[in-house]
Amino acid sequence: MASETPAARLRSRLSHEVLLAGLVAVEIAYFAAVGSNFLSLGNAAEIARASVEIGLLALALTAVILTGGIDLSVGSLLGLSAVMMGAAWRDLGWPIAAAVLVAPLVGAAGGALNALLVARLRIPPLIVTLGTYSLFRGVAEGYTGGVRNYSGFPAALLSVGQGRLFGIPAQVPLLLAASVFFWLLLHRTGIGRGIRAIGFSPEGARHAGIPVARRLGLVYVMSGLLSGLAAIVYAARLGQAKSDAGTGYELFAITAVVLGGTSIFGGRGTVHGTLLGLVAIAMLQNGLRLADRPAELAGMLTGVLLVVAIGTNRFFSERSRA
Amino acid sequence: MGLALVALGILLGWRAPGFFAPANLRDLLVSNAPVLVAAIGMTLVILARQIDISIGSQFAICGVVSGLLAKSGLPMPLVGAGAVLAGALLGGLNGLLVAALGLPAIVVTLATMVFLRESLRLATEGVWVQNLPPNFQWFGLGQEPGRLAVIVVALAVFATFAWSLSHLAAGRAVYATGSEPEAARLVGIRPRRVVFATFAFMGGLVGLSALLTSIQFIDVQASAGVGLELKVIAAVVVGGTSISGGRGTLLGTLLGVALLGAIGPALTFLGAEAHWERALQGLVILAAVATDAVRGKGAGNDGF
Repeated sequence: MASETPAARLRSRLSHEVLLAGLVAVEIAYFAAVGSNFLSLGNAAEIARASVEIGLLALALTAVILTGGIDLSVGSLLGLSAVMMGAAWRDLGWPIAAAVLVAPLVGAAGGALNALLVARLRIPPLIVTLGTYSLFRGVAEGYTGGVRNYSGFPAALLSVGQGRLFGIPAQVPLLLAASVFFWLLLHRTGIGRGIRAIGFSPEGARHAGIPVARRLGLVYVMSGLLSGLAAIVYAARLGQAKSDAGTGYELFAITAVVLGGTSIFGGRGTVHGTLLGLVAIAMLQNGLRLADRPAELAGMLTGVLLVVAIGTNRFFSERSRA
Repeated sequence: MGLALVALGILLGWRAPGFFAPANLRDLLVSNAPVLVAAIGMTLVILARQIDISIGSQFAICGVVSGLLAKSGLPMPLVGAGAVLAGALLGGLNGLLVAALGLPAIVVTLATMVFLRESLRLATEGVWVQNLPPNFQWFGLGQEPGRLAVIVVALAVFATFAWSLSHLAAGRAVYATGSEPEAARLVGIRPRRVVFATFAFMGGLVGLSALLTSIQFIDVQASAGVGLELKVIAAVVVGGTSISGGRGTLLGTLLGVALLGAIGPALTFLGAEAHWERALQGLVILAAVATDAVRGKGAGNDGF
């Protein structure tokens, strides 16, 4: 190791997640110093509550992006699932417990359509999900005439989005459970290794005996399913379901994943990185608001962070190639 | 794709001949001319195996820039040049990050999309540019000649780029870079320069597109262009350009813009509810790529 450069030595000691954790620590220190009430349990709960929908989408997208794919349709599918759930409850008169099941079903069906087109017809995921991005949102708009708003949900549903469970926001355990599930799936199972292998080289994965089409299908169906779950949380938190629900969420979720260190080309990335990315963005928005800084700064800084993150990501990928 | 357009035409001719009234067709051309101009740039970018999802934010900035320049009393040709230049600079920023630093275009332009949109919001506080001078709207030509000017400019840009792409060495270099950058390098093309240039052209064309849009209204909205990127990418893809680069034509893009742009008005003329426009656009995109995939000539089978 005589030829070790300072850069290489730095690389061997740091990882993307460590840098990101450092960033989160800096944010906490800064906002605690300048903002009022940032460093309180109440505010931590507030940040967590506001991050659950994007978090669920980001977890699913971590798996999708690990395969080298992308899913632009998650925000639209959230909107469609929420509207269909509202329609089952109010237009069909179903009890809320049954209507709630409609959202994950619609989500999984939408995900299955993406899966079919990506895994069976082998159309590039960017194009498939660009098409379903319009299709899902469009069906929600068409069905509601663009204006109908489902609201006045029963208290049982609202308590999921606005109430507390053991002192923490009631929807947070769902995100925790999903995080554990995805962490185990992607980091501790053969399926997870297969998903990663596909991201490195689909052809190589096929030769290694990995059922590429089935694994690809799985990640897109899971992505749809989580969009449906996020739809329940969304409707429960805001108390309404309209065709514009979840607009732009796909971009927030992708930002969290990429900021978390997952390579947009697939193969490399972690679930804990995604969660750190999510926390970094959510804290930035919350902290700037409490510090009375313009809300636009959060978006601008997120853009800068993204470019810096992929820059450092390249820096670390050079290590793994060496 | 051409067949779909013909089928839509026959259906309209049969059920709603009013669609083909000159006034309606002219309105359709005027409202889609800016989309076509942006789609020309996107075709270049995608042919070079890149993507740009920041154009909606560039569009908003260029619109505001053109409005402010006009209010400052500059003559219209300079206002137009200013809008195009502003776009080219923003596109050049993307080009620099992608070509010089080697960062993936989809992430870079995701970042610049958010950054540029929020910067504009911070700068304008969402206030529209109002009280524009009389020589701004319709280039000061009046409504009828102004409409004609918008259509003529868009078609002239289209003809210029279509010819250059197939007849100039620079145009062929875009195809070569998109199909195999390493091979392109070996025959003396500099892929990074080509990539940078396509992003800069993309930005300049978005600037023109914003100008052609903002002169149609009495104010310039600071929130314009949201979702433009997906609309334009969809038109390019429906027009048969391969998302993995190297294959596609501007004629296809023209047809894609026409097909997606005609769906909304066609729904109204056929007596259907306009709310279904977006669903139908999504179906058209999926149908176009799925038929290509089934016929085996595919939009590219190797991921994105």
